[in-house]
Order: sequence, then structure tokens, then C-alpha cells
Amino acid sequence: MLAYRTPPNRSLGVKAARRLADGLSYLVLTVCAVVVGYPVVAMVLNSFKTTFEMYSNPWGLPAHLGWTNYQYAWNEAQIPAFMLNSLIVSAASVVMTVVLAAFAAYAFATFEFRFNRPLFLVFALLLIVPVPISIIPLYVVESRLHLMDTYWALILPYTAGGLPLSIFILRAYFQSIPHELSDAARIDGCTQTQSFLRVILPIATPALATVTIFQFINSWNEFFLALIFIHKSSMMTLPLGLQSFFYNYSVQWGYLFAALSTALVPVIVVYVLMQRQFISGLTSGALKG
Amino acid sequence: MASTTITSKQTPRWRRNNPYVWIAPALLVFGVFTLLPLAGGLAIGFFSWNGFQAPQWVGLDNFTRVFQDQGFWQSLEHNLIYGVATVVGKLVLAVCLAVLLNRSLRGQTVFRTILFMPVVMSFVVVGLIWNWIYNYNFGLLNTVLGLVGLGAWKQDWLGNTSFALGALIVVDIWKWFGFHMVIYLAGLQSIPNELYESARIDGANSRQSFRHITLPLLLPVTMINVLLATAGAFTVFDLVYVMTDGGPVKATDVAMVHIYTEAFQFNQFGYAAAMSYVLLVLISVVSLVLMRLLRQERYF
Repeated sequence: MLAYRTPPNRSLGVKAARRLADGLSYLVLTVCAVVVGYPVVAMVLNSFKTTFEMYSNPWGLPAHLGWTNYQYAWNEAQIPAFMLNSLIVSAASVVMTVVLAAFAAYAFATFEFRFNRPLFLVFALLLIVPVPISIIPLYVVESRLHLMDTYWALILPYTAGGLPLSIFILRAYFQSIPHELSDAARIDGCTQTQSFLRVILPIATPALATVTIFQFINSWNEFFLALIFIHKSSMMTLPLGLQSFFYNYSVQWGYLFAALSTALVPVIVVYVLMQRQFISGLTSGALKG
Repeated sequence: MASTTITSKQTPRWRRNNPYVWIAPALLVFGVFTLLPLAGGLAIGFFSWNGFQAPQWVGLDNFTRVFQDQGFWQSLEHNLIYGVATVVGKLVLAVCLAVLLNRSLRGQTVFRTILFMPVVMSFVVVGLIWNWIYNYNFGLLNTVLGLVGLGAWKQDWLGNTSFALGALIVVDIWKWFGFHMVIYLAGLQSIPNELYESARIDGANSRQSFRHITLPLLLPVTMINVLLATAGAFTVFDLVYVMTDGGPVKATDVAMVHIYTEAFQFNQFGYAAAMSYVLLVLISVVSLVLMRLLRQERYF
């Protein structure tokens, strides 16, 4: 009897300990999630309030959905124009990075030629050097090429900045694709380029998606180069526009919250819908590097 | 065998060279916008140049001036404090939360999605949100302090020289710990379960197996995390520029803000380029030392 009694008791103790640990884990995780999430939620809620309501009712829901702040942010502060600029710059740099990196990475992965290793190392070694370090010579290059205050002023350095990691990730992926596939395509009469475009690239979709997300988020959020190369307000990207908006209207919190919510909500919606791809896209550089 | 020789002989010359054709476009953009500036920066460092008049050769003057510039070394000291505090803060928080998430709780994905969210946001947006949180009259932080009866602790967080740098450090940790957490999570999931089982059979309790299995096996991942976070801390600009612009009274002046001010407000291009190069050398040295330290630890 005794011999039978002990095991259930002990396992009950183990179960209780586990439940306690689970409860503590949930508590800690929830506190962290609130600290991360609440400021964003509160900012969106406040964007619908008047300044008076923000003081009198800082915690609750807005009494009614007031769009005056948004009207101001959209019409006076040109937030949609900044978003369009950001979209153009980010999309163009994604396209350029993906195309240039895919061709280069495929050559590094499959062709045998004398400077394969050294050229690849040139890209790989500069993975570590932060872009801001060479801001002054970059400024000289940009002004000599008359790129200041154009979209290219940002598209080209963003592309150059994204190439090392993109080539690194794509090369590893191309190397993992069995040779037989491109050989078969060659036997069927494809040229090297055709077999790359029609057979290899479609297989590499996951790696291309990783590079796309990584490059898009980095370009969309970039601030330092935009601050230095863009001065015309009609050419400003979103981070730069938000910063100058805050600089001019720092007292008008309602306007600022509306502007920030306009900038942030689309990004967060896309992120939540595709969180798996986003998280792997943004961390794969660190995990493979 | 014979057929391959024939085809390679028949291949026209441009086709045999074609790897370079595939690489050339990437190399061109990379060369003009990364390699050229990197080499040119060193050259500019040897000139006195205000961006308008012809540059004048000054030899090593700019570099000797960097070593005498107290403002620059003070800003580097801020980077050092910032680096140590953010690296420790991010990694401790990240390891703990990754271990909790790795216990296969329900809702794991929801927590991971929320905690990673700030990584997707730009530093400008994050900085502006926290400008509001730290606002004296109106900010979330002082309001919360008032609510829980700590009204005496209210501060003008960004306007006070003794709190401003710490306030920025908190924001940086807030933005990035989710990133390091996901990397730790990947590291944890790569540890085979058999190790824990055999440790349990040998009588190890959970704390012992964390100390002697989990932590040592997380060292490679830790090295990546430390290097990334350190490089970030030494080149931090956006957050500081948006929130304090180096103030109050230079209390949050960091190296990149210092370099930016010298270059684009005082037009000291040669001097700023020299400072950038000193910063690059310092970052490389720090990274190498960290790699050495962490690599030695691996042979436990």
C-alpha cells in the first residue's frame, strides 16, 4: 500500500511545481508584453483625443473617434507624401538589391573562376563595417554625382549596404540546391541564364523573401543617410519627415500621435500578418553570419 | 571527358568570362558606394577641408587632434557606458525570456510576436514615442509613478544630466531585446534534448543543467549577440539625435553625434573623417577582443 502511495504524491508535487513555474512564466511574459505593447496602443488611442481629453482622460478610450488630428497630419504635415517617398525608395532598393545580389550570389555559388574567393571575401568582410563610419566620403561621392535631394541619393547607398548580407544568404541557399537540377535544364536546352531564371530562382523563393523583408525594413526605417542627403521637404522619407514634424510641432501631441499612428499602423499590421517571415527575415543575418 | 574539352574550346571567350558579367553590376554599386568611401575616408583624414574651398594637406594633424579632443573622448565614454549597459541589459533579458518561451507554453507565438515588434519599428518612431513617455507633465512614466504613489520620483527624464543617458539606454534595450531573444530561442532549440535527459539520469537538478548545459552551449549565439549589440552601441545615432541631440549639456553626446556635428554643422570634414576612422579602429579592436574572450570560454 505504502509503496503505491508515494509515486502519485510525488508526481502531484512535480505537477504543482510545474504549474507554479508556468504561472510565473506567464506573469513575467505578460508584464514584458504590456511594457512593449502598451505605449503603442496608448499612442494610437490618444491620437483620437483632443489635447484637453488627453489630460483629463489619459488612460481610457477616446470619447468619440475624432479625426481632426489625422486631418492635420495628412493635409498639413504631408505624412502621406513622406510615406510615398519611403515606399518608392524602399521598393527600388529592394528590387535592385535582390536582382544584383541574386546574379552575383549565383556566380559565386556555381562558377569556378580565379577571383571567386577573393571577390566574395570583399563582400563578406565588409558585412561588419557599419555604414555611418564612411559618411563623409559618401557625402563627397553623392555631391560629385549630383545625387543630393534625389531618390537615387538613398536607393544606391541602401542597395550597397544591403548587398553583402543578401549575397551571403543567397549564395548559401544556391549552394544547397543540387547541381542535377541545373544540369537537367541545360540538357533540355536551356542556356545558363535561362536555367538560372526559370529553374533555380523559383526554388530560391524562401531566401529571396528573406532578403526582400530584410532590405525593405532597413530602407523603410533608415534615418541617418536621409538626414544628410535629403533637405527638400518634398523629397523626405517617412523617418525624416516625422522627425522634422516633431521639431516644428513638438507641443501639438495630438498631431504627432496621429502622424506616428499613420506611419506605424500599416507596418504593424503587415508584421502581425506575416510575423514568421519577418522574424526569420530579420534574424537570419545574425543566425547565418 | 573528350566532349567537355571540345565544348569548353568551342565556348566563345565572353562566355568563359561570364562570371564577371554576373558579378559586375553588384560590384559596381558596392564599389562606388561602399568600397570607395571606405578608402576615401582615410585620405580625407589627411586634409583640412571645409567642403567648399580646396582641401589642404595637413599630414597627421587631424589624427593628433583627435587624441587631444576631450569632447570626443568624453563622447566615447558615453558610448562605453551605453554599450556595457545595453549589452548586459538586452542579453540578460533576452536569455531569461527565451528560456521561458522555450518551455512550450501555450500562446508562445503571441508573446514572441509582441516582444519582437519594436525591432520592426524605426528608431525615429521609437524615439518619438519615448519622448512622450518621458515628458514631465504629460508622459506615461510620470503618470504611472503618480498613480502608484511614487509621485516624488517624478523627473524630467531627458532634461536631467544624471538621468538622460540612462533613459536612452532603457529605450535601446526596449527596442532590441526581442531580437536577441529570438536568436537565443533558436540557440536553445538547437540543443539536443538527450543532453538534458542524461544529465537528469546523472542526478542533475534543473539549475545545474542550466548552468552546465544551457549556458555553455549558448556561447556561440551569445558571441553573435554581444558583437551585434556592441557594434550598435558604438555607432548609435538616430535615437540620441531624435531624443536629446546630445544634450542636456553634452550629457548624452555620443561619438556619431559628435562626428555629425563637426562635419555637418562646423564643416570640419577632414577632422570628422579622421574621427570616423579612429572610431572604426576602436570598434574593430573591441570586436576582436570580445571574440577572443568569448572563444576562450568555449573550451570549458
